[in-house]
Amino acid sequence: MLTIEDLQGNRKQRRAEIVTRRIFQAAALFSILVSLLILFVLGQGTWDFFVGIDWNFDVLTDTGWFPRRERFDLRTIIVGSIVVGSIAMLVAAPLGLGVAIYLAEYAPSKVRAVVKPVIELLAGLPSVVVGFFALKFIAPEVVDRIFDPTQSRNMLVAGLGIGILVIPIMASLSEDSISAVPGSLREASYGVGAKKVTTVTKIVLPAAISGLVAAFIIATSRAIGETMVATMAGGYDGSGPYNGFNPLEPGLTMTAAMTNAAGGTDAVKAGPPFDVLFFVGLLLFFITLGLNTIGARFVARVRQKY
Amino acid sequence: MSLITPGAAGKTAAEVTRSQLTGGKRDTAGLVLLVLLLLCTLTTLLILGVLLQEVLVDAWPIMSERPGDFLTSTIGSDPATTGVWPGLYGSFIIGLGVLVLSVPLGVAAAIYLEDYARHDHKITQLILVNIRNLAGVPAVIYGVLGLTIFGTWLKGITGGSSVISAALTMAVLVLPVVIITSMEAIRAVPQGLREGGYGVGSSRWEVTRDHVIPYAAPGILTGVVLSIARALGEASPLIMLGAITGLLPETTLTGPFTALPMLIYNWSGRPDPVGGDIGWTNAAAAAGLTLLILVIFFNAAAIYLRNRFERTRLGV
Amino acid sequence: MKASTKRLFAGAIVASLVVAACGDDDEESTPETEAPAATEAPAATEPMTSEPMTTEPMTTDGEGGGGAGGETPELASGNVFVTGSSTVEPISIRVGELANELSGGELLVTVEGPGTGDGFQKFCAGEADISDASRPIREEEAQTCADNGIEFVELEVAIDGLSVITNPNNSAIECLDVPGLYALLGPESEGFGSWSDANDLAAEVGAVQSVPFPDAPLVVFGPGEESGTYDSFVEFAIADLSEERLGEDNDFTRADYSSSPNDNLIVEGIESADTSLGWVGYAFFQAEGDRLKGIAVDAGDGCVAPTAETIADGSYPFARSLYIYVSTTAAAENPAVASYVDLYLSDEGIAKVSDAGYVQIPEDRLAATRDAWAAR
Repeated sequence: MLTIEDLQGNRKQRRAEIVTRRIFQAAALFSILVSLLILFVLGQGTWDFFVGIDWNFDVLTDTGWFPRRERFDLRTIIVGSIVVGSIAMLVAAPLGLGVAIYLAEYAPSKVRAVVKPVIELLAGLPSVVVGFFALKFIAPEVVDRIFDPTQSRNMLVAGLGIGILVIPIMASLSEDSISAVPGSLREASYGVGAKKVTTVTKIVLPAAISGLVAAFIIATSRAIGETMVATMAGGYDGSGPYNGFNPLEPGLTMTAAMTNAAGGTDAVKAGPPFDVLFFVGLLLFFITLGLNTIGARFVARVRQKY
Repeated sequence: MSLITPGAAGKTAAEVTRSQLTGGKRDTAGLVLLVLLLLCTLTTLLILGVLLQEVLVDAWPIMSERPGDFLTSTIGSDPATTGVWPGLYGSFIIGLGVLVLSVPLGVAAAIYLEDYARHDHKITQLILVNIRNLAGVPAVIYGVLGLTIFGTWLKGITGGSSVISAALTMAVLVLPVVIITSMEAIRAVPQGLREGGYGVGSSRWEVTRDHVIPYAAPGILTGVVLSIARALGEASPLIMLGAITGLLPETTLTGPFTALPMLIYNWSGRPDPVGGDIGWTNAAAAAGLTLLILVIFFNAAAIYLRNRFERTRLGV
Repeated sequence: MKASTKRLFAGAIVASLVVAACGDDDEESTPETEAPAATEAPAATEPMTSEPMTTEPMTTDGEGGGGAGGETPELASGNVFVTGSSTVEPISIRVGELANELSGGELLVTVEGPGTGDGFQKFCAGEADISDASRPIREEEAQTCADNGIEFVELEVAIDGLSVITNPNNSAIECLDVPGLYALLGPESEGFGSWSDANDLAAEVGAVQSVPFPDAPLVVFGPGEESGTYDSFVEFAIADLSEERLGEDNDFTRADYSSSPNDNLIVEGIESADTSLGWVGYAFFQAEGDRLKGIAVDAGDGCVAPTAETIADGSYPFARSLYIYVSTTAAAENPAVASYVDLYLSDEGIAKVSDAGYVQIPEDRLAATRDAWAAR
């Protein structure tokens, strides 16, 4: 007779089972701990910041980002992030989408076998190397020559650099959603006599639209969170006036404001000019979280559909 | 539709058929789209090419003259004689830290979420959403986390701004990526393999250990390798932790440290000497090339592993 | 890490980076031949010809005419940790490299530059042997040191001068006084787009040089708030008047100027407009002399142009001292610390001040510094 006891295995097995289960569970729960710690650390620093400025919210709208003068004009760094992020997406969205459509619908398998790893290589480029490229090539050889800005480090240079970094993310997420469109849709389209161009633009892309929107949103979140290129090529080291939406002016992004606050200055690295990095970090955390959540919704929609 | 005799129109039968199927007109729209897509792809490849060329050309004066010396010398005040040794050491420890810390943790979490946890459970759902969100948190925020926890709270153990703190920070940073890629690899393990294990009386842990992990290993490894590449390239947490760029003759685990991305960042911003031969641009490019080679090596390894993994999975 | 393991490690990395060594000699010999360089300062024998900012040394080094304590000392072996001002950091780095070179890799100096305040914090907690400083230690910082039983000696090692600059085509402005600079660049000048906009304010604060200012566009370029040169400028030209007129914590320049982290960009800006105004470190001004016009400065004793002589003799007002603070506790326990400071103050060491882009202190003040060190 086979009993329940037999099926449960021996005691040693059972003990190992319980122990490993607990270990694996703890590992999974660790990620929750990380999130809580991020919120706690940012929240605590933000509290210190507001105590430091005596809860005087006027400093958050005083003109320009000048931490040492306790002028923390959020508009300056938020507009900086918007301008730089928009330029990045103006570069990355069409290029990334183009690459994705080409790879998913047109590329012969031999071409695909070469191009795809190269794009993945692009995805692996360290941002600091792209920052170097922005400083030493995009600024002098491209932007200076075409636009002749007053200062060769500016938001356009930073945006173009970040755009390069974001192309592969845009491309790979878009390609995933295009490939997720069932082949039967394409075949049906060809079956009624549609041309390839019609099939791609009228059938495949509309079917993949949720995924493409998700790709765009997630790529935007990356562009806004990207730090090094903005710090290196944006034009200001830690402080600067509000320059509006003109991309040819230097500017500060939220991320660049954070790294510069952490670096401090020779004279000052304490109090609100330092603590503000937690506050900006908290804002950035919620902005990227919001974008990623919206992006995930769109991805989920694709999954449901097919 | 009138019948056309192929011979009379001077066309082959195939041409006639094709022209009838495509409506007889040249497909201008299709051609335009294809050209546009090709342009996008070529532009992207061109950008990568120009970038690599720029780094190579700027790095050449140093890398052609003294590659070994550059890799083994310490950092200094003269771009013509400076090296990247402390940066290489720092990056090596960071890579090692990621391997040792985030791999076991990430794989364990992935096994739990795929094979142990009940997917309709609220906490499981919460963990899954949470991991996806963590993967999207900008690196600079992990830097703030590392600065506070490892650089300040645990200063007694880590030594504050040390390579240990940096490695721990990077390990936390890449953890979500390790978990997500490991989960995908584990999900791809055929259910029959597990059932076969249970059928011969193995416990769940034994099945995991003997069947699931070995089968998923190449996929897990791909994620691990990509994570290491990412950790090697991140610079903003290093800035947050205060990696140094002054003088660092000795490399220690708990003392002042630096890593390759920090050197590239700092050197890129230094002014080049007027009329000098080798400037900080060259030094930054040489350090950048060193980092690129490391990162490309890891990425290529990941691509290779994934291709092998896909082939195994398809049973080829 | 021991030298042998480091060599192995270096060899492994070199081998794994064969690609990097494109067409290089065989990599087996590389770690062998390059190993000494791993423990020494970069290429000891080569003269450092391509410094970012070279200035003519005021005194030719190596002549041995420096008086007491001028000779290069015997160096003990050991480790020294220097933290503090990023402004002073370049000098400490160069002396550190010299120490490493002269001691054959026995005297190892680690230098970082998180900032003067951060430096004193570490220094007074006993975490560093030496703290670089671009200002004298504050009372509360000294108190922390005392509470932690850290005794120290303050040593003046260099002078950081700055130059007020304009475009060489700007013939209208030869000299500016402190009230004039305050009127043009101080916190109350925000929004002034023309030099003449500052006239009312200049009259109010009592400017006499070059007034009334011409009706010409006022375009301002300078380093950002993160720069040590910004601090110096505020200290010299703004702080007194801003405190008198606006109270404490208003010692800033106007915010609406083109700030740049890169001196080259400031020079480009100054060149781009005929009636531009700005300031840079003296060393950089001297190196770029023909592209810029230095404006003489009047701090109450008449106009003085920025030259190495006027800075060294103290007549040029826009110059401040740079210091190193040495823990005498650490120096007593660790001969390496004493050796490093000995070298710092020797003729050969102090010559590094010029290499780093600063002005050397005159003989009498150097002698005072040496005496202070000897009497520790």
